[in-house]
Amino acid sequence: MRPLTPRRVFAICLALCAVLFVAVVISLRMGAYPVSVRDIVMTLVNATLRRWSEIPPDFQSIVLNIRLPRILLGILVGASLSTAGAGFQALLRNPLADPYVLGVSSGAALGAILSLLAAPHAPGLIQAAAFAGAIATIAAVYFLGRRGGQLDSGTLLLAGIITASFLSALIMFLMTTLPGRDVRGMAFWLMGDLTSPSSVDLKWLYFLLVIAVGSIYTTSSDLNLILTGEQEARHLGVNVHRVKLVVYVAASVLTGLAVSVSGAMGYVGLLVPHVMRMMFGTDYRVLIPASALGGAILVVVADTLARTVVAPIELPVGAITALAGAPVFIYLMRRRVR
Amino acid sequence: MIRAWHRRILAVATAGALLSSVAPLALATRFGAQAQSGRAITDEVGRRVTMPPEVRRIVTLAPNLTETIYALGLEDRLAGDTDYCDTPPAAKSKPHVGEPQNPSLEAIVALHPDLVLATTSINRLETADALKRLGIAVYTSNPQTVRGTLDSIARMADLVGAGGQGAALVAQLRKRLDALHARLAERPMVHVLFVVWEDPLITIGQNTFIADALRYAGAESVVLSDRNWPVLSIEEVIRLQPDYIVFTSNHTEGPATELADLRARPAWRDLDAVEMGHVVDVSEEAVRPSPGLVDAIEQLAHKVHPEVFAARDAEPLVACDARAGLKPAPTDARGERTSCAR
Repeated sequence: MRPLTPRRVFAICLALCAVLFVAVVISLRMGAYPVSVRDIVMTLVNATLRRWSEIPPDFQSIVLNIRLPRILLGILVGASLSTAGAGFQALLRNPLADPYVLGVSSGAALGAILSLLAAPHAPGLIQAAAFAGAIATIAAVYFLGRRGGQLDSGTLLLAGIITASFLSALIMFLMTTLPGRDVRGMAFWLMGDLTSPSSVDLKWLYFLLVIAVGSIYTTSSDLNLILTGEQEARHLGVNVHRVKLVVYVAASVLTGLAVSVSGAMGYVGLLVPHVMRMMFGTDYRVLIPASALGGAILVVVADTLARTVVAPIELPVGAITALAGAPVFIYLMRRRVR
Repeated sequence: MIRAWHRRILAVATAGALLSSVAPLALATRFGAQAQSGRAITDEVGRRVTMPPEVRRIVTLAPNLTETIYALGLEDRLAGDTDYCDTPPAAKSKPHVGEPQNPSLEAIVALHPDLVLATTSINRLETADALKRLGIAVYTSNPQTVRGTLDSIARMADLVGAGGQGAALVAQLRKRLDALHARLAERPMVHVLFVVWEDPLITIGQNTFIADALRYAGAESVVLSDRNWPVLSIEEVIRLQPDYIVFTSNHTEGPATELADLRARPAWRDLDAVEMGHVVDVSEEAVRPSPGLVDAIEQLAHKVHPEVFAARDAEPLVACDARAGLKPAPTDARGERTSCAR
């Protein structure tokens, strides 16, 4: 492995951005309504220059108002989940850690169910409730996982797994015993789905994303040291407690963000950081940005497939990420072992 | 270990790269909900809908809505429907926009509808929200009873400028229900188990329109539940001992469950209704709040009250509306003519 230089980090990020851009253009191109790449570029250029009258109304609806917001949401969800996954894996020093193992998705789904029961038609409430559910769960797991005032990786992971199964059982209980049709949309929350984007302004979600990813990034060299051992890191002058708190809070916010707009999309937080490690090495200074971009690419591609393979029927994107993710992951893992 | 300035440069560069890849796209999003002029109405879930001056192109998001449009004779205005819309058969050749639970928004937009019809019984409210944000008028119907279904049909007909046809259709459906009521009024209610799904066994709650439809057919669900789709154990069914077991059948696939099947199944074969052969199929229309619901009600009434109708085998038992393209269906297995067909 070549030594990590800022130049190399920059080159990797640039390359991933280029791949992401290509994925976005392809995704904009695909769909039930045929649009050529030339039309897409014209539409994007005109939209950037705010020449709305130049854009045919159909393209404005389909390219700018249906496909683009969905792609932007996919980028947001993918980047959030995989950065959170990378953060949790370092924090727990466990390669299996990801937002779902820690019960966050179940917490979010429970929040969403409760809000559907309380006020089924309130706009934006379900997202807020899912976010609150995710954050509350992860806070509960955090306190359950402390042992003698210290955050213990094994205990935390166990606390997460137990909380997750408890909350799933609670969800099943609510879904089978409470009245009626309001719970019908829940399947989408449990699968991961980008078809019903929230009415929440994307700007604010991106703002939160950049802040949270940025704050995890500032701890990346400390995370490298913590991965070699907490004692060693402490001796080298790392404030382990502070770093853990920062990463835990930021990764929770990222997970809550993703789950509140898309439901529980599996595999992204686990798969992407591992693939990025296999490709670019285990140094967190490159792993964090690479995971963010890689996650964005994965979800955009997966959602494009979800929209197109059996069009006009749309699959939940979570099914695609799991279906495509597992074999790729096994292939990379076996190849590395050899 | 990396030095502080080094770290800072990296952070800035990465944030910059991340932002620069999404900023132009974020800039480009703008919801262009066209300000539409037209009358504002409130739909059946209390949402404001701005109606276009004239409705020439309609997209329906559920089978019952598609049937309603056909029954009103407005099929020329139906621009698209869903993969589930199979009644009448002509509906299958209309452009499809996906499944009712999760239709493709862009397929809907591409059809340029003036009005999209949705229903709470199968569509998600999120779909209506998303279409509304795209500047498309969506009317969501929410029928909870048979009467509510008829009112909803009249309302939708009115909405698309076919109030006359709507009133005529609803009046004719009411007349048929009244005729049925007149013949069944003296009869005791038959207790039935209405099977929505076999495994797990799911039946209907007392607040569903299906429970209401059963009452019009002189039948009553043995299960009294506030939940709309309660899951039931077979033990509970044995305890309740329904007089009849009612299944719904698809037009194309035929009866879902044969009596012989049930007689071979442990637990089921101990039911009095199964022993006596009181297992009936009704058309899938029974679970759709559409004009065809009345056909299904008549069909069910004939099957669970055969003695009432036995004397009049010779004449068609249902008055089918020729104007809506309906004629009496071929006689069923019992030799009765109990439903309408196209």
